[in-house]
Amino acid sequence: MQNRLLPYLLTLPSLFLAAVVIFWPVWDLIQISTHDVNRFGQLREFSGLANFASLAADPDFVAALWRTGLWTVLVVGGALLLSVPVAMILNTDFYGRGIARVIIMLPWAVSLTMTAVVWRWALSGESGMLNSALLGLGLIDHNIQWLASAETAFPMQVLIGILVTVPFTTTIFLGGLSSIPDDLYEAAALEGATPLQQFREITFPLLKPFINIAIVLNTIYVFNSFPIIWVMTQGGPANSTDILVTHLYKLAFRIGKLGEASAVSLVMFAILLVFTMIYVRLAMREQRA
Amino acid sequence: MSLAKWTVGLMAGMSMLAFAAQANAGEVRVTVAEYSAKTGPYFEAVKKEFEAKNPGITVKFEVVPWDVLLQKLTTDITAGTNADLSIIGTRWLIDFVQQDVAEPLDSYITPDFKGRFIDTFLSPSIMGGKTYGLPIAASARALYYNKELFEKAGIAKPPATWTELQDDARKIKALGSGTFGFGLQGKEIETDVYYYYAMWSQGTEILNKDGTSGLGTPGALEAAKLYKSMIDEGLTEPGVTSNNREDVQNLFKQGKVGMMITAPFLSNQIKDEAPKLKYGVAAIPAGPTGARGTYGVTDSIIMFKNSKNKDEAWKLLDFLFTTEQRAKFTQGEGFLPVNKEEAKMDYYVNNADLAAFTALLPDARFAPVIPGWEEIAQITSDAMQKIYLGGDPEAGLKDAAAKANAVLKK
Repeated sequence: MQNRLLPYLLTLPSLFLAAVVIFWPVWDLIQISTHDVNRFGQLREFSGLANFASLAADPDFVAALWRTGLWTVLVVGGALLLSVPVAMILNTDFYGRGIARVIIMLPWAVSLTMTAVVWRWALSGESGMLNSALLGLGLIDHNIQWLASAETAFPMQVLIGILVTVPFTTTIFLGGLSSIPDDLYEAAALEGATPLQQFREITFPLLKPFINIAIVLNTIYVFNSFPIIWVMTQGGPANSTDILVTHLYKLAFRIGKLGEASAVSLVMFAILLVFTMIYVRLAMREQRA
Repeated sequence: MSLAKWTVGLMAGMSMLAFAAQANAGEVRVTVAEYSAKTGPYFEAVKKEFEAKNPGITVKFEVVPWDVLLQKLTTDITAGTNADLSIIGTRWLIDFVQQDVAEPLDSYITPDFKGRFIDTFLSPSIMGGKTYGLPIAASARALYYNKELFEKAGIAKPPATWTELQDDARKIKALGSGTFGFGLQGKEIETDVYYYYAMWSQGTEILNKDGTSGLGTPGALEAAKLYKSMIDEGLTEPGVTSNNREDVQNLFKQGKVGMMITAPFLSNQIKDEAPKLKYGVAAIPAGPTGARGTYGVTDSIIMFKNSKNKDEAWKLLDFLFTTEQRAKFTQGEGFLPVNKEEAKMDYYVNNADLAAFTALLPDARFAPVIPGWEEIAQITSDAMQKIYLGGDPEAGLKDAAAKANAVLKK
């Protein structure tokens, strides 16, 4: 009997901490989002789901919702595709590997906001580095106004998102690769397996749990990522690069609609929760099978 | 042993927290906006001088970047940890008054104190007959033009009307070599205001007389068409929607833009960063009927209702609004004088740039004092960005007017 209770008792302190850090703010958000609330967060009368209804009726919110999906899929997908080969190269033994690893990891050490500020300068239409480089190389004959419209701004933001996500993802994969014993490759090579076969039959299957964890963690980070889009375009022009977090920030702190902003926040929380649960389920079932 | 240590540490920490929560008697906390690199040092100096003159009162300034000021105030007020005094944008004041967090200052204001201010700048902080804030910073907008480009293009004087401005922009564009006639701001804060300059010159106001949005009027459409035609004709800098006010100002400082509308602080920046630039300051161009308007802005310093040290806080306000202190602050930041005595100082009287701004004050419009103003500004900015990107002005304005009217009805 005591043995059964013990694990629960032992997890109690951390459960308590989690409750304070997670459940209490969520409860607070539920309170705010279901009330008529003034811009300083003081609750007035209960308003039910009115805040959620006005969100659903807001085309900017719906557009931001879809764009957040696109943003997350592109950045997470792009970072994964790029990180697997990068990690495999960094895992092989070559001269200067230490320096190469540092270079790949470096963007991670710089604050995201700072990276975004530097890119904003680099993408400036008249005095940006990118334009002068492209002009110098003769690739373009007039300045491109990168951040003037969503058609060019959003793809650049996705690329920068990928760039800053690669270091973390690579780190996970490097850990995964180093856990694959070398004898497997030796044995495979003896049997005459090509590098491609080795990748498909050994590296990829054994890396799968690490890819799964990278997908879950990156999705959560990227879905909630604020600085890149905010610094470069503030979700503009005319809300055309807004994702849910930037939309939420404008609602809460520009316009002062804390009720609707809390509702956005809950929607984001729900989406991430459902995604994570489904994904972890699927990934675990696959592993068991 | 280690447990005992922890307990002691924890208790010490908690008692420190308790101390911190209970504001010390005689301490005045002030949240101030960081206007420039000079703001922090100025208030440091104020602290030293004021504390020396008023033993027993300590002052604590929290310098906050302007962009996050409203966010900080919102969270502070929600948590009940706001300072005693704070600088706010006067356009936010109505929210503070309606939510009953701002203290009316009338019981402190003597006729003599009131007499220090220029009425134009004090009046936006008065609501329902009560004074809730004092104008700590005041500014207006005027047309900056590059004299060298004007000379090269053979233009004798700054444009008096928008038609002349278009002609001048064409001549400057014809100079080639990467120069643009008119700097048009299309991103971030005051994108809506940049459009109002053209709208006001059509005789249209932000709010019609019946309280509905002015965006639906023919004048508003004319103004939007004017800017759109200038973009289409290549008279503005390219990529309008990627340039915020600072970006356009930088183009002006680099001598790439012939004309732009902005605040007096650009003069200070030019003095520091591009001292060789020859420029002039002129009135904002007028419309066909001679109507014109500039944007007047004040920031107010307010006292919070829940302050426990109101008398001490007032002493500090009194000190901040002496002529000497005002002159130091205003000249450092490049604002307009709000204090009558200050305005008579040689610095302002002999300054051609500032004279152009003060001459425009009779045409100054302040942001309308209505709840939901920030939302209407956002709606207008979004509509303008769509039009600048090639959207249809008529449909865009109609949509924006409907949205703004929905906000106004609440």
